Amino acid sequence: MIWFVRDFDLLSLLLRALSFALEALAFGSVFFLLIAARPAGLSGDAQARLGRVGAWFALALAVTQVVLIGTTSAMLTGSSGMGMRDLFSAAYFISGTIFAVAAVVLALVLRWTKRLGPALGVVFIALGASVSLSHAASRMNHRPLLLILTAGHHLGMAGWLGALAFLVMGLRLTGDAEVARRMARRFSTMAVVSVAVLVLAGVGLSWFYAGSWQALYETSYGILLSAKIVLTALILTLASGNFLLIRRVKANPAPLLFRLRRFSEAELGLGLTVILAAASLTAQSPSVDETPDDILSGHQVVERMEWRWPSFHTPAFSQLAPPTPLRVAVREATYTGGSASDAQDRAWSEYNHHWAGLVVLAAGLLALISRLPGQRWARHWPLLFLGLTVFILVRADPECWPLGPRPFWASFTAPDVLEHRLFAALIAVFAVFEWGVQMGWLRWPRARFVFPLLCAAGGALLLTHTHALGEGTDEVFAELSHTPMALLGATAGWGRWLELRFDTSGAPAGESRFRRIAAWVWPVCLILIGVLLLDYRES
Amino acid sequence: MAKRRIPGAACVLGTLLLLPAIAFAHAHLLSSTPAANATVHGPEVAFELHYNSRVDGRHSVLTLVMSDGRTEPLGLDKQSSEANLNAHVKLKPGSYTLRWQALSTDGHITRGEIPFSVR
Repeated sequence: MIWFVRDFDLLSLLLRALSFALEALAFGSVFFLLIAARPAGLSGDAQARLGRVGAWFALALAVTQVVLIGTTSAMLTGSSGMGMRDLFSAAYFISGTIFAVAAVVLALVLRWTKRLGPALGVVFIALGASVSLSHAASRMNHRPLLLILTAGHHLGMAGWLGALAFLVMGLRLTGDAEVARRMARRFSTMAVVSVAVLVLAGVGLSWFYAGSWQALYETSYGILLSAKIVLTALILTLASGNFLLIRRVKANPAPLLFRLRRFSEAELGLGLTVILAAASLTAQSPSVDETPDDILSGHQVVERMEWRWPSFHTPAFSQLAPPTPLRVAVREATYTGGSASDAQDRAWSEYNHHWAGLVVLAAGLLALISRLPGQRWARHWPLLFLGLTVFILVRADPECWPLGPRPFWASFTAPDVLEHRLFAALIAVFAVFEWGVQMGWLRWPRARFVFPLLCAAGGALLLTHTHALGEGTDEVFAELSHTPMALLGATAGWGRWLELRFDTSGAPAGESRFRRIAAWVWPVCLILIGVLLLDYRES
Repeated sequence: MAKRRIPGAACVLGTLLLLPAIAFAHAHLLSSTPAANATVHGPEVAFELHYNSRVDGRHSVLTLVMSDGRTEPLGLDKQSSEANLNAHVKLKPGSYTLRWQALSTDGHITRGEIPFSVR
């Protein structure tokens, strides 16, 4: 149980992120069918297929809500002795149940009927339940206004990014260029309205939750919010390109629709990253609630971002604080977030980051060099990450095997260690896949997408992390360092994705220019991440 | 031993998630009576924990940890405000820790502890 308690926060955050994404997709399916696909004359079969996909998203949303209710209930009953009957009256239980039931009904309506009116009604019931589980519902002041703004934010997200997924599918399903053009144009109008609602509601919420411009870089909430704004701006740049593209589609549909599909995929992927950032914000205290101990000064921010040469000196293992028994460490972390790092711990961690920075920097540079004529040897750059995997396994958890006294298997009961090892394994997997792709011995076509998807997912997931590092401002410092890396990670992933997607046999002539641009974007992002890691410090 | 974070490179490559993840935060404790590390007069000790948001007074939990490590759950009193948790107990002189687990109305659970002494 104590393991579950310790890991519950992360699980809850990821489930909420999943719920946000599925909600946008399920609601987006209804909006797309109602406003774009049906009026544009998409065939009945294609509409039915889109409805079925929407139904699956709604069903997955219901399952996610049930799991979320289940984990929260298990958490409460396990840690407090409350019975399940006691929980039936809890607000989260009631709202979550209504949300799950509404999602099931939406799935049934989308699956078994062609009528979209009832589906729209169910969407609004589900939206009400969803909003009642948001920050706004628990605020003491301005609650009705905050609830309305939150509802607008959710609707804007569904009408833009949720529906965009169905545009991508709809364009694949229709062979009629005129229907595709009409559908894209109607979607475009809906997306413009949705973006306006999304941004206006977002600005309103930021006004109440951030409270000042300085909060955007002085608090954890503000830094995450800034990341969300930057990503949204990036997506809007892609979206505005698509917007202009749609208005030119009449002239020569085939290449323009091809480009529209490719950019829409990246727009959608980055959109899912924003949704993860939004989920992360729900787990942060709004900036206006932070105490002075949790807020950085502008001077501290500038000082931390200043370049300093990395240190490659590590304290000896014997200089680190002796490890406490595993059970004690896990219990301590449950209520306090763990003990604060001392100077040696910080030096150990900085050393780890600096070597990692060197590896990522070298990988980015080699990826660039490999594009030069006669530099095929540089395509071995993914192998650098295999070395990093070993480095992580040895150094990331010095209290565990092989450096520390905690045995290899027993240390898996600490969620931090479990996470570290899972991700070390993931690095190894993508390194091997990408190596095979670069060297040409891995022929499975989809293997090419392992690297960009893991890279984008990693960037996105980094945004879902909050760090409990003992001292209040330590957490904000960690956000300052890691949030730009998360943004660059997501950009690198979708840059590589675009490069690969434009590099297909079906690509019309003239698209190579976009492939070349994308091919530069992701190695440059890797290089910048390497530089950020080399400048990483905790003191 | 303090937690150590992992090389951030992993972070970038789909694996940046190596940092310990605790989403402390939603119902954020703004102030408490007694305050952390404060000394209060006994034997009647009243607790008031003030949060930044509405908390569910029926489903939140306060637990007292004695100096010998024994724990005792506290019955919650009627909330003095939607953002407060209240309780009271009789205590002998000594050192104690109040552990709290707050359920905010939006379903987030947050936890923390407040060490204090009774004179």
